[in-house]
Amino acid sequence: MKDQEFDRILSHETDLVPSSGFAATVMDAVRNEACAPPPIPFPWARALPGIAAGVFALVYLFIGVFRQAGSVADSPSSIDRFFSSLVPAFRAAQMMGAGWILAALVLTYLCVKLSFLFARRNS
Amino acid sequence: MSASDDQADVQKVLAGDIAAFENIVRRWQGPLVNLAYRFCRDRGRAEEMAQEAFLRAYRALGSWRADAAFSTWLFALATNSYRSELRRFPPKMFAIEDVAEPGDPRVVDPLRLAEDRDRAVRQAVFTLPPKYREALTLFYFHEMDVSAAARSLGLPEGTVKARLSRGRELLRSKLPQLLAELNWKEA
Repeated sequence: MKDQEFDRILSHETDLVPSSGFAATVMDAVRNEACAPPPIPFPWARALPGIAAGVFALVYLFIGVFRQAGSVADSPSSIDRFFSSLVPAFRAAQMMGAGWILAALVLTYLCVKLSFLFARRNS
Repeated sequence: MSASDDQADVQKVLAGDIAAFENIVRRWQGPLVNLAYRFCRDRGRAEEMAQEAFLRAYRALGSWRADAAFSTWLFALATNSYRSELRRFPPKMFAIEDVAEPGDPRVVDPLRLAEDRDRAVRQAVFTLPPKYREALTLFYFHEMDVSAAARSLGLPEGTVKARLSRGRELLRSKLPQLLAELNWKEA
């Protein structure tokens, strides 16, 4: 089939006429939108100290880990000492219940993905 | 439809006269519903998608710069809205085997055969990957104007031309099976 034939077929489509109530429905939605209260802005002023503290803690943690890793890597039996240096970090994570937090996050992620998947299949 | 009408109505809406938006809706409902229909091939869904596009247009009306045509801005916004809607909830895809409708082989009506073939070609566009399907849809919706299609898609003209060419190639490769079915009907 030639391009001209495609052009002829695909450029001749019957025009749909929107249903009689379409404009009214759209205007109802627009009026609802206009009447709706404005979205609540994110409370940056209140959140900023917390975010700053979180960033500071992360930076502090990374600096500590890199320093320790660097000093361990310079020593003769580097691999063993490097892994043994990580043990306190794992213990701390265990005490905080990091495993459970991770499991909960994975479970939440799976639930969200599954619900989206089912919603798509049913639509 | 005149550009000055659009501009006047947009200014009224921005000044707080929501009722002026109805003029915009009435002027553009046909094109937006038809564009949506070409994306999803479902009348009910096309109207829902067009309604959402109008709502988005209402929210973003302040971002329209009068140096570009209102229609260009509106089509780009609607195209973007339709594409994201169909990415979230893809339209029902047609398998190529389902495209041609089985007919009564005893009745050979050349006009009906031509209509069947034309409809089959239109629906075969739906079997293409989205990026080629969108380029073809916009190109024919804008009466074969590549630059208008490119503006609606927010892509360079060269990219749209390449996608049109590749889309036609893919369509051509899918058609023999379809046409064979039609020949069977004709026999």
